[in-house]
Amino acid sequence: MEFTHLHVASSYSLRFGTATPAALVARAAELGMPALALTDRDGLYGAFKHVQACTEAGIKPVLGADLALRLPQARARVTLLAEGRQGWASLCRLVTAAHATADADASPVVTAEQIAQHSAGLIVLLGPASDVGQAVAARRSDLARRALDRWLGLGCEAVVEIVDHLDAPGSTHRAARMAELAAQRGTGAVLANAVRYLEPADSRVAQVLDAARHLVPLGSPAVTAREPADAQARAQARNSRAFLADAPTMAAIATRIASALGGTALGGTARALLRQTAELAGRLCLDPVRDLGIGRPHMPEATGGQRAVSLQAVSPQAVSPQAMAQEATRELRIRCESALPPRRPGMSGRRAARTARDRMEHELAIITATGTAPYFLTVADIADRIRASGIRCAIRGSGAGSYVNHLLGISAINPVEHGLLMERFLSPIRTTLPDIDLDVESARRLEAYQVIFDAYGEERTACVSMMETYRARSAIRDVAAAMSLPPDEIGRIAKAFPHIRARHITSALRELPELKASNLATPQLAMVFSIAEKLDGLPRHVAMHPCGILLSDATLRDRTAMQRSAEGFALSHLDKDDAEIAGVIKLDVLGVRMQSAMAYTITEIARTEGDESAPDLDAIPRDDTPTYAMIAQAKTLGCFQIESPGQRELVRKLAPASVDDLIVDISLFRPGPVSSDMISPFLRTRHGLQAPSFPHERLRAALAETGGVVVYHEQVLRILDEMTGCGLDEADLVRRHLSTEHGPRRTEPWFRAAARRRGYDRRVIDQVWEVLAAFGGFGFCKAHAAAFAIPVYQSAWLKRHHPAAFYAGVLTHDPGMYPKRVIVADARLSGIPVLPLDVNTSGDGWKVQADLPPTFPADYSCAPLLPDSRPARPAASPSSPPAGAPSAAAVPQLGVRVSLREVKGISDAEVERIVAGQPYASLRDFWDRARVSRPIAERLVLTGAFDSLYPAPDPAPSSAPRPPADPQPALEFPPEPAPGAVSQPPADAASGFGFLSAPVPGPAPPPAPASPSPLPTRRDLLARVGVLDRAASRASGRARAGSASSSGAGGEALQLFDGAVTDDWLAGLVPAGQLRDLDPAERVAAELDILGFDVSRHVLEFYGTLLAELGVVRSTGLARCRPGETVLVAGVKVATQTPAVRSGQRIIFATLDDAVGLVDLAFFESVQERCAARLFGSWLLLVRGKVRRSGAGTGGGPGSALVRPDAAPVAVTVNGAECWDIPALDEIRVSQGMPAVRAAMAAGDTGVAPGVTSGQGSPGPPAQPMVYGTGFALSPWAETGGPGAALKHAPRNFWHASPGSSGQTGSADD
Amino acid sequence: MSRVYREPVEVQAREDGRPTRFVWRGRLYTVRSILEHWAVNREWWREADPADPAPGGSSPGEIAGQPELEYWRVEASAGRGFPAGTYELCRDVAADAWALRRVVD
Repeated sequence: MEFTHLHVASSYSLRFGTATPAALVARAAELGMPALALTDRDGLYGAFKHVQACTEAGIKPVLGADLALRLPQARARVTLLAEGRQGWASLCRLVTAAHATADADASPVVTAEQIAQHSAGLIVLLGPASDVGQAVAARRSDLARRALDRWLGLGCEAVVEIVDHLDAPGSTHRAARMAELAAQRGTGAVLANAVRYLEPADSRVAQVLDAARHLVPLGSPAVTAREPADAQARAQARNSRAFLADAPTMAAIATRIASALGGTALGGTARALLRQTAELAGRLCLDPVRDLGIGRPHMPEATGGQRAVSLQAVSPQAVSPQAMAQEATRELRIRCESALPPRRPGMSGRRAARTARDRMEHELAIITATGTAPYFLTVADIADRIRASGIRCAIRGSGAGSYVNHLLGISAINPVEHGLLMERFLSPIRTTLPDIDLDVESARRLEAYQVIFDAYGEERTACVSMMETYRARSAIRDVAAAMSLPPDEIGRIAKAFPHIRARHITSALRELPELKASNLATPQLAMVFSIAEKLDGLPRHVAMHPCGILLSDATLRDRTAMQRSAEGFALSHLDKDDAEIAGVIKLDVLGVRMQSAMAYTITEIARTEGDESAPDLDAIPRDDTPTYAMIAQAKTLGCFQIESPGQRELVRKLAPASVDDLIVDISLFRPGPVSSDMISPFLRTRHGLQAPSFPHERLRAALAETGGVVVYHEQVLRILDEMTGCGLDEADLVRRHLSTEHGPRRTEPWFRAAARRRGYDRRVIDQVWEVLAAFGGFGFCKAHAAAFAIPVYQSAWLKRHHPAAFYAGVLTHDPGMYPKRVIVADARLSGIPVLPLDVNTSGDGWKVQADLPPTFPADYSCAPLLPDSRPARPAASPSSPPAGAPSAAAVPQLGVRVSLREVKGISDAEVERIVAGQPYASLRDFWDRARVSRPIAERLVLTGAFDSLYPAPDPAPSSAPRPPADPQPALEFPPEPAPGAVSQPPADAASGFGFLSAPVPGPAPPPAPASPSPLPTRRDLLARVGVLDRAASRASGRARAGSASSSGAGGEALQLFDGAVTDDWLAGLVPAGQLRDLDPAERVAAELDILGFDVSRHVLEFYGTLLAELGVVRSTGLARCRPGETVLVAGVKVATQTPAVRSGQRIIFATLDDAVGLVDLAFFESVQERCAARLFGSWLLLVRGKVRRSGAGTGGGPGSALVRPDAAPVAVTVNGAECWDIPALDEIRVSQGMPAVRAAMAAGDTGVAPGVTSGQGSPGPPAQPMVYGTGFALSPWAETGGPGAALKHAPRNFWHASPGSSGQTGSADD
Repeated sequence: MSRVYREPVEVQAREDGRPTRFVWRGRLYTVRSILEHWAVNREWWREADPADPAPGGSSPGEIAGQPELEYWRVEASAGRGFPAGTYELCRDVAADAWALRRVVD
């Protein structure tokens, strides 16, 4: 007998189900079941995946949802099943209603009345967790009957669901009583197994998920407020019976229940139960096309922006779809024709006009054939509306290949000029809907969303959802917590892993050098890891997709359930793949930080130089020589897409001189071109070292732009079209096919035959096929690169011509890959001083400041004190010729001022109040009017934000000898400035910093006799903050006591007290100069702790003696080292990457900031055994390695020959061999002297990442690279990053790190 | 009143798992009827601790196999003429090992 499971939870029942819909369907099909239901808890997230899987497996889908039910006295759960199209619409609306009436704890819940409202096409399954089931379990047959009658009275079709999991004594008898009740009342009854997992053994995972969901350890009764005891007891896995059982097992359960019923007709009762189950299942099977609307697009009814306003009035039935499509096509044509460029005079003008019109007609034909005209009009309307709101908006992706998009104003790129193809974007034979993606300012992304929702209404618009799934760290955290490991232990274990998939935990332990050296592979943890691996990929949270917006007609809410996102938007239960299946248009509106950074840059230019000086970025000429000169010198930190070490090396070699060059640059910097080594041949022909060669003269047209090298998808399309005559649209299908696993093998015979027919000889075919097969799916869509190239150019142009405003924009919106300290250092080295925090001038965002104090820069030590990097004379350094350097010489001296937002813990309201109240006359004035919390006031004091009110005495007495100016950049570190300048050696400083976190300074040391200061020091101010805070709390306490009726006690009290707290009183209480000022080391420590980067000095300065003794080479000196020379370099680690590289090795690339520039490092697998843990674990690194010129990570061996002679200097990479932790070494230097440091370095036993024993990790077998059919090998650990916290911020407790402490790796919280 | 035991017993069972006879302390008991049947998972998460070896004998970290303990509360007697008593038999599914857990007086 056949059996269909009607109550099944997949992994889309968050932290409840353990199997994906696909796995459940596959098992059901394997067991010969005709259909399978998916009834996830609280959502329809898995519905379309289930339907898709059923279609592929050839079984029928049933859909439903398991929802919490709110009862007058209790809580229960019922399962709703959808019958037909009406049922699916009711289910969508009911689930939406459940989310809208969520409880206080945000868990969705419905009432019986709501179910009754949506009862059309819905069947209510009343199982053990329902009100009926609970009454039966309590042996209250009277209540059970009443509950059942109530459901029937509400007009719902109710069916009793019988489940017997044998999870407690009496289970079968309870199930039998349910059957009895159904028989008595004449309602239907079905048998189900309330499935949660595939196999009995998976019940462990279900138990762990129960514990994680309820935040209790395994084995404890998980009764929480979220699910009260009655419903909870049913939802907790106690045994292993809730699996996807086969039909015989279910028949046995039916028999067992029937025998418990007693009576005579045992077999008959069991058969009747199974028959009813099969009958109901048969009724509920859904037709994907008829019932769910799969397979046809549901476009917005809008036929253009102007009419979107009147949409609300239009009912979907009023206009026929055909008429609407015709109307849209007509309107699209009118808009495109009116946008065609005016014809220029002459022959060439006529030809250009002809080309443009032909292209337009060609595309309109495609659009008409695909019926997508409404889509184009909708996107154009949206782009217009976003721009009309003053939000920057640019196209991204293959949509840039469409001329219609250009004519409609969606795209700034003219595809005809850059040789982009419509077919790569949309063609009549493509089955998928096109994707037009828009980039908007990240800071205003939600504003852009609101614009769309306002225009189209919530009945047509929704955000796309996505599932955050379990990965290694999160899985380990939840499993370890369920198994009652101590919390700090859990954090230590989880953070030791890089960001990898959970299923790779065990193999990572075996293969990754930094983990091998740890002691995590213990039997005690083996159970944690093996369960954690089982959580791999299970959804744990619903989140708003970062960019997807759904647009549909007014029936959207009948086709998907909705909930409210945290940001307040309607959030569909469809994810981005489902949207495609459901035929709903998805528009990607992506927030791009660089767009925000550029918008901010423009407003800063307008603010400081006047509105007329603010450039129109979309109108600037794209052939600016100084901009390209700057790019060619790789001075691209902060620029879009071209700031990574690999890109800085590539632009140096490529020396782009046009937007087309930038397009090539972006396309070449991809795994595909890197793996098939397209870069070297491309550069050889580009620089004229080699004549371009083409396999056949007829392929010249396709390949000329890249000197015969295949770089773009568009070229593949042209080659296929030319050699086989298949047409560009078909060619795009072939290209997609080539990127699949078996694609090349299956395509080859067709290609060879077609090319032979077109007259190509064997040699040409062989040659071209080899390229096509290797190209695989890797190459890059040129349209995509073209869309990127525009912001690349725009950001570089801003950096070149408005450097101060550009740095302010980049530092405010943080668009890049580096921590801010790198941008700060780049600004200084470019001659833009970085000004410290100031309560009177710092704003909400970094500010350009033109009116620098006359004494600048002497009073601010923002300029590096190292001789080779004077900001005032960038031209003096041979490494920075004035032509390309973002030079400050052309403009008046500008600086950038640190933003208030950089202060750790500051709130939006505090920033607002501080800015609104500027300027302030004194600390007391600030305290009264800005009304910030005491910790924030203290942090502002510590970072010198009041120094302009109370200029701090120069911490370095003028008598201290400054290092003499050196005409040549120093190759080595000078020792620290005068020993007298730093009152404490840095190593000791670590222990002396405790006061920074103490609210009030301790007993004051006697003021330094040498410098009696009339002005308060930062410590004095800190003490005064304490006084003010105590005065305020006393006052408010008194006010409360005095006038109990007064509601605004606080505010009044402050005013009441205002007379008493005067500046003089404050100064009398804490006289100026009473407390010692912060010394330079303390200032830097405060900056690192509070701002996350160092402003007053570079942190490396404090190790000058150590680094000078060791003869460390600085980044500016590396270019003069011999290739192959062994050097020591040092710096702050600002980036680590493990990108995919050609050899299939996992190379760790790291970048150090050494105050005068960046040092790029590469660590190959051979050294990772001894380096990796320390490399990932330390923040300040000393590295020994060999100098290598050019050719880093981008595959070019002979690359150094390709550098244009005028593009000095060459790129230098250091191949790291050993590394050490600088603070650890310096501690040895201070306590034992330099010989001990050298001995420790030689022994390799110092600077070990805390807690890791070096040299004991047994060298296991190296990780096996994955080798693709194209010959491209990829390390399985590529792109996983490192363990520990992200590098965007300095580790908070960096100063306390020492080799003896016990953290695993890294130290900051993430 | 009931007494708790944890003694291994030899059990003869039908194909569907129902015990029919068992030997306890050298005496053969015949199952007259099944009173209750249920199942719960072992506390498998404690078994990773080497100090507390898994009753099922599975090795630490090993998570294949069913973690279930099947309970049968039966009425049985040691032969004709002996009074029937209530016994709780327990089977560790992974190890296929039976134990007498409880005797109800």
